[in-house]
Amino acid sequence: MPKPLIERFLFGLEEHLRGLMNRRDFMKTHARGALMAAAASSGVLSPGPLLGAAVPDISVAVGGAAAATRKAVEVLGGMKAFVKRGERVVVKPNMSFTGSVMDAVNTHPEVVREIVAMCREAGASRVRVLDHTLRPSEKCIEGIKDACSIFGDDLVQALEKKDFYREVEIGNAQSLKETDVMKDVLESEVLIAAPVAKSHGSTGVSLSMKGMMGLVWNRSIMHWRYDLHNSIVDLCTILKPRLVVIDATRVLTTEGPGGPGKVITPGTVIASRDMVAADAYTVQAFEWYGKKIGADKVKHIRLAHERRIGRMDIQNLNVKRTVL
Amino acid sequence: MRLRRTVQAISFSTFLLLLWYAAFPLALPIPVDIFLRMDPLILILTGAGLRGFLLKMFPAVIILGMSVLLGRFFCSMICPLGTSIDITDRLISGRGVRGDAEAVSGASLKPVKYLVLCFMLVSALTGLSLAAYGSPLALATRFYGMLAYPLVSLAADAGLAVLRPLADRAGIAVIAYADIPLRAFNLLWITVALMGGIAAGAFLAPRFWCRYLCPAGAVLALASWRPLVTRRRVGDGCTSCGLCRTSCPMDAIGQDPHKTDFSECIVCMKCARVCPEKAVRFTPGKGSQPLRTGLFSRNRRALILSTLAGAATAMVALSTLRGRACEGGPGQVMDPTLIRPPGSLPECGFLKACVGCGECMKACPTNTLQPAGLAAGLAALFSPVMVPRRGPCDPACNACGRVCPTGAIRDLVLEEKRHAKVGTAHILRHTCIAWEAGKACLVCDEVCPYGAVSLQRAPGIAVMVPAVDESRCNGCGFCEHYCPVVPGAAIVVGPMDELRLESGSYRAKSRELGLSFEPKNQGDPPATENNGLPPGFSD
Repeated sequence: MPKPLIERFLFGLEEHLRGLMNRRDFMKTHARGALMAAAASSGVLSPGPLLGAAVPDISVAVGGAAAATRKAVEVLGGMKAFVKRGERVVVKPNMSFTGSVMDAVNTHPEVVREIVAMCREAGASRVRVLDHTLRPSEKCIEGIKDACSIFGDDLVQALEKKDFYREVEIGNAQSLKETDVMKDVLESEVLIAAPVAKSHGSTGVSLSMKGMMGLVWNRSIMHWRYDLHNSIVDLCTILKPRLVVIDATRVLTTEGPGGPGKVITPGTVIASRDMVAADAYTVQAFEWYGKKIGADKVKHIRLAHERRIGRMDIQNLNVKRTVL
Repeated sequence: MRLRRTVQAISFSTFLLLLWYAAFPLALPIPVDIFLRMDPLILILTGAGLRGFLLKMFPAVIILGMSVLLGRFFCSMICPLGTSIDITDRLISGRGVRGDAEAVSGASLKPVKYLVLCFMLVSALTGLSLAAYGSPLALATRFYGMLAYPLVSLAADAGLAVLRPLADRAGIAVIAYADIPLRAFNLLWITVALMGGIAAGAFLAPRFWCRYLCPAGAVLALASWRPLVTRRRVGDGCTSCGLCRTSCPMDAIGQDPHKTDFSECIVCMKCARVCPEKAVRFTPGKGSQPLRTGLFSRNRRALILSTLAGAATAMVALSTLRGRACEGGPGQVMDPTLIRPPGSLPECGFLKACVGCGECMKACPTNTLQPAGLAAGLAALFSPVMVPRRGPCDPACNACGRVCPTGAIRDLVLEEKRHAKVGTAHILRHTCIAWEAGKACLVCDEVCPYGAVSLQRAPGIAVMVPAVDESRCNGCGFCEHYCPVVPGAAIVVGPMDELRLESGSYRAKSRELGLSFEPKNQGDPPATENNGLPPGFSD
């Protein structure tokens, strides 16, 4: 059916205006992407941990939600290693479900608040906590919004309109060659993934890589047109967080992503620059449906390792564990 | 006399404000459907159809009672359709709208509204409610709630699209992230045509609809045959200049300006305002003469005809395939898309009670409630159905029942509403990407608020596939809404096994039937797939 005239007109106008500013942003994004790729590949190509490196690849902290979050990041050099003064930051937690903290379907509000606090301390010019929720958004984001309200009431947003997204090409994609990503993410310097650790009926686990689906507009195409795991990896070639903080203070080990299922409480927070490594470590650190399972059993982690988005060979990485 | 205008303006703004607030969550302590409940036509037609008095409609009884005392003040002061017609009359004909249309239309059109009323009343008694096409409140609510409101939202959204980048730069996040929900509705053109027709009456006569057609006006006209307390009175100063007669928007004043057709007079008091001698007053006292119109004696034949037409129309409607569907039994032909809102009366009663005002559709936060179109027959075009592809039914919302003026959708507390099963989902395996293409998906399982979709192993399929547990499925439509298969979802809700109770507890009934609408139990059997790995993992 043809679009109504008014819609076509408004859409056309918007596209036109967008086109005027698009090219510059596009170049900026891509230049940044290339730099990141270069930096990442240097790490990927070197076998084993860099001897003598002061900063571990993965930092694990056990303790209270907020304290463990801070500690995990401090071990990696503190937030100032990730956020420079004046930079804009987008934090992507899980806040797509309604449920209490102990249901472990959303990121712990205190983990998110601590990340925001550290970003502020590091001098971020702007911090946004964003997600594209599944259920009616107000209820979903309530907990995290309340927790972050000490920093203002506009921080936490669920973006449910196409206007907030802009199409980008995925240069190195195998299947998902373009998608609409939140403009806020495209226009920010720093992306921080802050997922809760939980199982997922179709992708095994939902951690930082799967969580990137919460930054795009059209997720259904990733299901029906492409292989879900493969398109998640495609997405992660452009949405590569500078920092991953996985909230395993509670872990939903069965019936994810929506629960209710079996929840364990390891009181752990895992941080890394490498989203694949963080996810892989998390898979291997906890039980799933009562079993210990290798990270290579999660197809998108396996593919991401093969495509050198990051590393899943935890045994070769430098993991520092701190108990508070 | 500015009194009338002031009351009318306050009343109209209140109507719009209440309609605006007919949204989830309902924020006002007063009933937002109060205007609809003042419509005497809705009172009479639902009463006739359901064979009883609807307690919810008591405001209309008060209006009728007041009309016996004060005349048709409702039309000039309260009715939002009347106000809208005043506005369009002014826009179309300017300030100089005069009661000179009789030259074109002739006085003989005035009884038409009684014929419309008679037609609708008999048709309602026979079993077909046509309130959606005659009730001025239903028409106005539908126009403002389902046509004007989406248009205003669309315009505001376009404005916001321009403002957003500026607001973002200025750091005003409230505007930068403001998100105006855009509503879309089925059958808007019919509302446009109906309202356009009503407005176009201005080309023939002022308040054309009110004068000649409005069946609610006819009810009020009967009530205000001789207003007992205040009515138009002409004092001794009258020079019979006739200015009042030519200014009267309702053509209610006789050749002798002392005489008034009280059934036509809507107490707009324009005659009092224009009278150069200030001889006209609306007060208790002496000096009023009724104009004898011989209305019924002259129109007996037409009344009999409209009675027959009303009965015949209802009988035809009830003899159509769809018209019989509500009764169930053998040969039942119910449209598979006819998913009624939770708490809807059993279909036959529902059709008699629903006035097609669209208040529920205006209030529905997910826009899933839409006019049914032809699914329930021509007469029920504007009755609400759920369209899950457009939006799911939010388990935390019960707005549709809260705002329904006639109780066609019962006003249920959340817990009760949760048990008012509207239908059941079923999977179309030949289009489901897990069943058919072996792709990892299970969005339906992920989004189901009631845990009614579960993962299963199926022979020969590498991934887990979804299955619906009918006893847990509430029909909310989250699965159909979010199913990634386009355009037609691979899991769809139909009205199968819907629960429709005229009275009594839905919770008790669903318990009795062994239904469970609690969140998924933890005791679900542990699902495993390839080589004993949990769901989603693979070698």
